[in-house]
Amino acid sequence: MATKERKRRGKWDTYKAEEAPSLYSGNADKETSSVPKAASHNLNGENASSVMTDEFGAKDYRKDMPLKGDFTARPLWVAPDGHIFLESFSPVYKHARDFLIAISEPVCRPQHIHEYQLTAYSLYAAVSVGLQTKDIIEYLERLSKSQLPKGVITFVQMCTVSYGKVKLVLKHNRYFVESRHSDVMQKLLKDSVIQSCILDDRVQPAQQTELPAQEKIKFSHGNENEKGVEKDGAAADGTAAAATDGKVPADIDEFYGKIDGDDEEDAEIRNLQLLTFEIKQETIETVQKRCIELEYPLLAEYDFRNDTLNPNLGIDLKPSTTLRPYQEKSLRKMFGNSRARSGVIVLPCGAGKTLVGVTAVTTVNKRCLVLANSNVSVEQWRAQFKLWSTIQDKQLVRFTREAKDPAPSGADATKPVVCISTYSMVAYSGRRTLQAEEAMKFIEKQEWGLLLLDEVHTIPAKMFRRVLTIVQAHCKLGLTATLVREDDKITDLNFLIGPKIYEANWMELQKAGHIAKVQCAEVWCPMTSAFYSYYLRSQIARKLLLAVMNPNKFRICQFLIKFHERRNDKIIVFSDNVFALKRYAIEMQKPFLYGETSQNERMKILQNFQYNPRVNTIFVSKVADTSFDLPEANVLIQISAHGGSRRQEAQRLGRILRAKKHSTDQFNAFFYSLVSQDTVEMGYSRKRQRFLVNQGYAYKVVNNLPGMELEDLKLASKESQLQLLQQVLATSDADAEEEDVKEELADGTIRISRREATMASMSGGQGAQYHSKAKAIAERHPLFKRFRQ
Amino acid sequence: MVNVKKGVLVTSDPAFRQLLIHLDDSRQLGSKFIVRELDDTHLFIEKEIVPMLENKVEQIMENMNPEAVDK
Repeated sequence: MATKERKRRGKWDTYKAEEAPSLYSGNADKETSSVPKAASHNLNGENASSVMTDEFGAKDYRKDMPLKGDFTARPLWVAPDGHIFLESFSPVYKHARDFLIAISEPVCRPQHIHEYQLTAYSLYAAVSVGLQTKDIIEYLERLSKSQLPKGVITFVQMCTVSYGKVKLVLKHNRYFVESRHSDVMQKLLKDSVIQSCILDDRVQPAQQTELPAQEKIKFSHGNENEKGVEKDGAAADGTAAAATDGKVPADIDEFYGKIDGDDEEDAEIRNLQLLTFEIKQETIETVQKRCIELEYPLLAEYDFRNDTLNPNLGIDLKPSTTLRPYQEKSLRKMFGNSRARSGVIVLPCGAGKTLVGVTAVTTVNKRCLVLANSNVSVEQWRAQFKLWSTIQDKQLVRFTREAKDPAPSGADATKPVVCISTYSMVAYSGRRTLQAEEAMKFIEKQEWGLLLLDEVHTIPAKMFRRVLTIVQAHCKLGLTATLVREDDKITDLNFLIGPKIYEANWMELQKAGHIAKVQCAEVWCPMTSAFYSYYLRSQIARKLLLAVMNPNKFRICQFLIKFHERRNDKIIVFSDNVFALKRYAIEMQKPFLYGETSQNERMKILQNFQYNPRVNTIFVSKVADTSFDLPEANVLIQISAHGGSRRQEAQRLGRILRAKKHSTDQFNAFFYSLVSQDTVEMGYSRKRQRFLVNQGYAYKVVNNLPGMELEDLKLASKESQLQLLQQVLATSDADAEEEDVKEELADGTIRISRREATMASMSGGQGAQYHSKAKAIAERHPLFKRFRQ
Repeated sequence: MVNVKKGVLVTSDPAFRQLLIHLDDSRQLGSKFIVRELDDTHLFIEKEIVPMLENKVEQIMENMNPEAVDK
């Protein structure tokens, strides 16, 4: 027990190391210097002796934290280790939730109690959306059931007091560091690292242009109403709650309005003189890093309203476009004080991230570069821009491998456009075709108002850096559904883009009907004895293949497909293993799609799936994990997966999350994960589910499916199962492995990979077994037969 | 001649039976222990091996799902 306790506390001690971008491990020591020491110190000293930990690792703080008199009306427990627990059934839940999302990271949000954690970065994000130190502490104190632990207060102070005083501003294509606090500026200027990055080392009082009256930013038509509705709703909520309980403490209520409202900089601060110095563009990252070490992180803001240098795009949302409340809220956070802040917005898949992106573009209304991670999603972005906004065709420039719109030239070159491209295209460092070269020059030359980064969690940091050195943007907005990675690279985003601006609660969106209600099920498929005996004796790669090809899994998969096809559902089957994918699909005579399928064929299959009532099931490999917009699909069957990747699980779930037409209280989407019993898949599956479980999803374990005996399914006989086993064993090792998704490189070049194999496997002769072949032909569907003979 | 041997009847699902046969074949417990394979779900094994086998099986199960044990 003692060790466990130490381990727990150790985690809090080293939390900064986790937070610190792993890429800068060389600077780890310096990095830790920016940790507010008080927080961890305090936690070690005072509480170590008194905190009891039970066998499940739960901590007992009863002695340290006496309850306040009216604790029943207050929704929070703030534990001394920075974890915050929120009662979601509390009448003031709504007040507390918005505040907590702003200041802390959601850890786990099931139905009744939500867990949040205060981290240095989350507090930084809170400051960047305009919260003040004293407000944070005061509101936290009011919401808490007990006195705030001293450690937490110091932690908040340490983390927030110095934030938000220095800003990084892009003007006339040059970067400036800006501040109204001369002491801070002096400190920065004295620092040797920063000195080396300064372009012009004279500190100059900026021309104090008179600040125009700041108008608040409106998002869309119909927005007014919604806002009204929301306010009404809140008010109604409040009164209803007050009527029933009469217990909402007035102080909480009054504070809520203050936090929720748009915040303005204090007048006295504004009156101070604005000090700026310019820094070299290539050193931005160094400066940003150094500033974090000095505890004055740079806030990147873009005052697009007063940017006269860059022409306006002149587009708006269509009048028919309406934003959902949470979309509007996320955007309000982004455009808080009528400037655009850089950051990341986290919304579940299918909750309308694209619309948020499009609205952000129309709000900034300057040149915009959208980066997506595949050609298919580039097309989808283009279509969405046309759907939601009044943008014209000539203002949209695509720049991908397949579809290259010519870069604007001549008189058009200076006109603002929305350019849509892929990460790999922009970051590509090899030789390009002339046309691509021109397009790249165009991208490099522009001063972009907004850089929109789709599926921002997928990009490796290295590629990302390259993009950022090439593209000059005032403001960066990242969009993602899953801010988790199995490697800890996700914290790099704090650095490279900005803090997390908003994170939606999946369960609440589900309840409100904005995303589909999904029933998650883990179906356990027993291994057949023949397969299991080989499984036990095989290497790991082969083990995985045997587990996927388990005949019972095949039968269950077929049963589920038949069952749902009868209900007129649209089904996607996911398999990471291409061999299994092909086997399953051909056996069941369904179309399939994987990395090597050509763009043309992909589109055809997807269109058929969408519009052809006779194609209700498709098999896809992991190429379809992200950004494949298939709004019709409502059943997802997963037969093999990529190890224990939480992100993949969530992304796959996202394929069926788009709100369905017939929204009822019933579940209207189904997510099955087929797992072979007693194999490594079981452990992986548990790990994969963690993210979704933290979002409040519950997995139902299914042991046997009623009605399966009645169904006419393949692979019923022992012989056919053994035959399948023979075929599985006869595959080459290369086939047994998971598919490598080829990176889409610019200019249509595909990287050539080299595999070592025997001559026999090259010629297809390896492990060929005559009897199985003869049998296979006999069983072949007439359609396929013709090609062979 | 009649051979008498004390043993234990094991009932399991087909997959687990394969695991036992695998342990038997690979002699991971030092020796063979299966006396007779009866049918798809039944095995007859030596009595002395049972405690060792129980240990081994527990270990295998833990390996298969490290996380559940961790917490």
